[in-house]
Amino acid sequence: MTTTPPVDPSTEKKFSIWFFVGVLVLACGAVILAQGIYEFWHPGTTVLANLHPAFWWGLLMTAFGLFYTIHFRPGKG
Amino acid sequence: MHAAPIPAILLLAATHLIRLAPIDIAILLFYFVMVIFIGFYVKGSTNTSEQFFLAGREMTAWVAGLSFVSANLGALELMGWAGSAYQYGILATHWYWIGAIPAMLFLSIVMMPFYYISKTHSVPGYLQLRFGERARGLSCVCFAFMTLLMAGVDMYAMAVVMRVVLGWNINFSMWVSAITVAIYVMLGGLRSAIINEVLQFVLIWAGAMLIPILGLIEAGGWHKLMAQITQRMGSQYTHLWSTTGSFAANPMGVHWTGLVFGLGFVISFGYWTTDFLVVQRVLSANSLRSARMAPIIGSAFKMFVPFFVILPGLLALVLLKDPSGHLMQLYPDGSPQVLHQGAHSFNEVLPLMMVRYLGPGLLGLGITALIAGFMSGMAGNVSAFSTVWTYDIYRAYIKKKAADAHYVLMGRWSTIVGMAIAIGTAYLVRHSDSIMDYVQQLFSFFIAPLFGTVILGMLWKRATKSGGFWGLLTGTLASVAMWEMVRLNKANIRFMILQPHASADTILRVQAMAANLYRAAWAWVICVAVTVVVSYCTKPTPEAQLNGLVYGCTVLPSDGATKLYEKPIFWAIVVVTVLFILNLWLW
Repeated sequence: MTTTPPVDPSTEKKFSIWFFVGVLVLACGAVILAQGIYEFWHPGTTVLANLHPAFWWGLLMTAFGLFYTIHFRPGKG
Repeated sequence: MHAAPIPAILLLAATHLIRLAPIDIAILLFYFVMVIFIGFYVKGSTNTSEQFFLAGREMTAWVAGLSFVSANLGALELMGWAGSAYQYGILATHWYWIGAIPAMLFLSIVMMPFYYISKTHSVPGYLQLRFGERARGLSCVCFAFMTLLMAGVDMYAMAVVMRVVLGWNINFSMWVSAITVAIYVMLGGLRSAIINEVLQFVLIWAGAMLIPILGLIEAGGWHKLMAQITQRMGSQYTHLWSTTGSFAANPMGVHWTGLVFGLGFVISFGYWTTDFLVVQRVLSANSLRSARMAPIIGSAFKMFVPFFVILPGLLALVLLKDPSGHLMQLYPDGSPQVLHQGAHSFNEVLPLMMVRYLGPGLLGLGITALIAGFMSGMAGNVSAFSTVWTYDIYRAYIKKKAADAHYVLMGRWSTIVGMAIAIGTAYLVRHSDSIMDYVQQLFSFFIAPLFGTVILGMLWKRATKSGGFWGLLTGTLASVAMWEMVRLNKANIRFMILQPHASADTILRVQAMAANLYRAAWAWVICVAVTVVVSYCTKPTPEAQLNGLVYGCTVLPSDGATKLYEKPIFWAIVVVTVLFILNLWLW
């Protein structure tokens, strides 16, 4: 049996605060991930660019943003 | 809507560290569009004064807690403290730990019940209930003055980042940020500011976290970093407490008494428990328990902010190099090297580290995070100013009886006017030696005596209205007098540090930031002493009038927590334990 969590008043409106968070992180993450993939063939010139920080950080942000966007999408619950 | 001119301004850039790639600009534009959208989106639900000034008191503990911390993640946190870490070493961490955590927990456990059950809309509002109109009038005028100066600090700091990294014109940056913040705060009030602060909180962590991670990898790990700093700067740059036994043994020229009493008690408690900018966020909580949990949640995150603010400054000491491959030397703002030789200042250390590690995309994220941080500081100050102006000045003294919609309209207009004044203060900041020192001066002028008045008001029922007012006034004036005394002759600082026979070398070593700690401590002591003396000389307030305002005269309501993990005190103990361990680790 599941219990309904208490309603978060800050999410009662059409868009939840956490949905905005998800969209922002997802958008930034996707752009950075794309740049990271591009840099596998066109390496950057910054220090430690060989570690491909854009790819890994972009991947992490995309996953985080995707989860929040879906979990707190408008109309859910 | 304000980003359109950016490419044109980029073309005007003279000298800068880097030019943003198109995807960096895309990230920046997306953020600005989203911020403005939220302002318009929220406007429909901010029709009453309670909704506009206190976000309808319906925020959860997490939202209020993140907003509580984020409102403080402005110029002060990001650029200023990274620069201070470069200047003073790991000692700068004190401003995040002993200089924040105990006070945040004290707000939660001791003070929040009074703020919350008195249903006050502001800290000056509490003073009015406890000490009468004179105390409120004095504190709200001081507060309004301070918030606008602080908004100017954030604005200027952001403009400096834009100049260093992108070569943008300082005036252009200040005006764009000011107009954007003014729009979204004017439209959505505190609700809009809080939503954006939560967004900014996430952005700041995402955008700034990569610098210390990559820096530690380059340095070869924590132990190798400490070894390199010790080798270059000396061990006093890598210890939190062991070098504070004398003024001469650490780069800040501070004694542990100044850190514990001046910073850890007066400045910190004053800021986190009586500065309405941060307290307003907690007052927006939807219940007493949420209001008590919010500062604890905020403190847990605050404890780890040094990782991406202090650590970059320390990394720069041994890793930041100029184009010729030599270690780069940074200098104070306003020094001849900065003014005439093109050297970079302490406050530029964070953007310099960003340029070192972040390529296209990541740099856009980092720049957006910085801008978000600065804008959250501005928004926090302006929304707090708007509330205090409308509730505690306009409604109290100018137009006492008007429709609720009239006060909402006044709140929107005061946002615009406040931002215009803040722009003026931003130009004042340009003439300060150090952004950080400037801000600390403000704290010690206004916040330290205010804390003395509020804490006596809450904990001591014998404090009278006259005692509260004269204590606050005397403490504030004494603080300004001490600052002027040292400004005229630095040797006078020996009286503030209780070493009248201090050597010239000791006096020289006491940095401005350390002097601020002692001035704040003295201002608090004077405020408390005057309040006590005047209170005993005046007629006590009847206890019936102190119900809901003072310990001993108030039955505190239950916050509804039944299980251990629901109790704020449990989580406060957890946070204190972690804080203790961290301090021992870096002793």
